[in-house]
Amino acid sequence: MKTIVRKTIVALIIPIILILAWFYATTRGNIPDGILPSISKVWQAFLEMVESGQLQGDLLVSLSRVVKGYLCSIVFGVVLGALIGMSRTMKELLFPLITVIRQIPIIAWIPLIILWAGIGEESKVVIIVMAAFFPILVNTENGISQTPESYREVAKLYKLSQWKTFTKVYLPHAIPQILVGLKLGLGTSWMAVVAAELIAATSGIGYRMSDARSLMRADVVIVCMLVIGLIGIVMDKLLGSLFSLFTPWKK
Amino acid sequence: MSKEKDYIIKVEHLNKHFISGGNDIEVLRDINLQIKHGEFVTIVGHSGCGKSTLLKIMCGLVSYEDGVVERNGHAVDGPGPRCGMVFQEHRLLPWLKIKDNVGFGLKGLPKEQREALVKEHLELVGLKGFENSYPHQLSGGMSQRAAIARGLANNPTILLLDEPFGALDALTRIQMQKEITRIQREQGTTMVMVTHDIDEAIVLGDRIVVMSARPGQIKDIITVETRGQGHMRNSDEFTYYKKKIYGYLFEDAQEEQYEVEYMI
Ligand SMILES: Nc1ncnc2c1ncn2[C@@H]1O[C@H](COP(=O)(O)OP(=O)(O)OP(=O)(O)O)[C@@H](O)[C@H]1O
Ligand SMILES: [Mg+2]
Repeated sequence: MKTIVRKTIVALIIPIILILAWFYATTRGNIPDGILPSISKVWQAFLEMVESGQLQGDLLVSLSRVVKGYLCSIVFGVVLGALIGMSRTMKELLFPLITVIRQIPIIAWIPLIILWAGIGEESKVVIIVMAAFFPILVNTENGISQTPESYREVAKLYKLSQWKTFTKVYLPHAIPQILVGLKLGLGTSWMAVVAAELIAATSGIGYRMSDARSLMRADVVIVCMLVIGLIGIVMDKLLGSLFSLFTPWKK
Repeated sequence: MSKEKDYIIKVEHLNKHFISGGNDIEVLRDINLQIKHGEFVTIVGHSGCGKSTLLKIMCGLVSYEDGVVERNGHAVDGPGPRCGMVFQEHRLLPWLKIKDNVGFGLKGLPKEQREALVKEHLELVGLKGFENSYPHQLSGGMSQRAAIARGLANNPTILLLDEPFGALDALTRIQMQKEITRIQREQGTTMVMVTHDIDEAIVLGDRIVVMSARPGQIKDIITVETRGQGHMRNSDEFTYYKKKIYGYLFEDAQEEQYEVEYMI
């Protein structure tokens, strides 16, 4: 218990210094609101956005995009990852290409995706799928292909069918690793939706930020940033807490 | 040639090499061994001499290039349902409960029958009440016993055991030795057991296969005349067999030592 208290205190030192510096800079200093608004201004902007329902609306739009894209990428990522993990030929065929494509940052895909899919809903979902697909695929592949030979031999000994071998040996072995992929994928889809909305959108939390920027509303920009960070952490923790349900054999 | 049918396993002139990291390792050299129905054969030999490999070849998990390996008169080309194997490591699947591990090889049976078989075999190895535990909740010896239960559950005609009692304490070990003898008598299961315990090899074996260090060759096959007579462990005969086996293995140990010195 003591270590937790200590850790929390230590972890808070720098944030508190930053907040104090922010406070000091905006009360004593002479910084225009358009650059760095005071803490109270930001708080006020937050309250206004909540009261008008704008913040919730923006988040709902962004989150529903994430859900759509994320679910698609889970399906594609796990299925393809499992296929590549099970079959040497599939791996030799696809993995080099995947490795190359992965090097292109998701942001760099956005222009092309917009050219192809427009600036509507589809392009956002495609961008999210692109972002979450690779971590899920790569981790699934890893978990499947690293199933120890000793367990595969047991399946071979009892002449399990391909499918049974997959569901009873490969898949359970891969689950912890797949969950890691799902966690990474969720993080990247959240980042991707914000990026996509910043660049081309008429709704969502990212759009709100770029809109606020053009209105010189740094307070709104900061509120959005903080909320994005917070939601990211909450999603990560929520997903993490579900993990033990999928791996009952671990203590 | 009518005698051919008596053999459940026939190995003739078997050689086995592994290619590992570009090196060609000769593991087994000219193995000849016939195992009769209902027999209990034990195998002893130095670590790395190819005992596990030999068992895996017999059950079809490892391929072979040269020689003849037959099970029930047919060349072995893969695992068969009536040939069971208990691996050197227990190899229980960590994500399956003990009951599902034990029932792992039971296919196409109605649920009740499957459960009954699992229960019966868990009781047999003294693991009643652990049906719903996961492997990590069991001790090493208990895991090994669960693995034995899995090997026996689908009623094999031949069971290959690779140091199955290696993780057991002396007491449980003797209990399990009795148990396996009983099972073998009652069910007539043919058993081939690799062990590093020479006493165990003598107590359990109708015949003892003594192997040389790598490349594994059969040095001798000793027939134990008085097997199963209870007083075995302190009889003169027992001591005689023990000395004989130690003699064979000690020869190797000296050679090995020499080899090591040479390498340094
Ligand atoms: N799949 C494999 N690939 C390459 N080499 C292997 C493989 N399996 C076994 N070997 C090698 O074959 C030799 C014999 O291995 P094996 O496991 O059969 O020995 P063992 O007699 O069972 O030894 P131990 O008593 O220590 O279990 C060893 O030198 C090992 O390194
Ligand atoms: Mg071995």
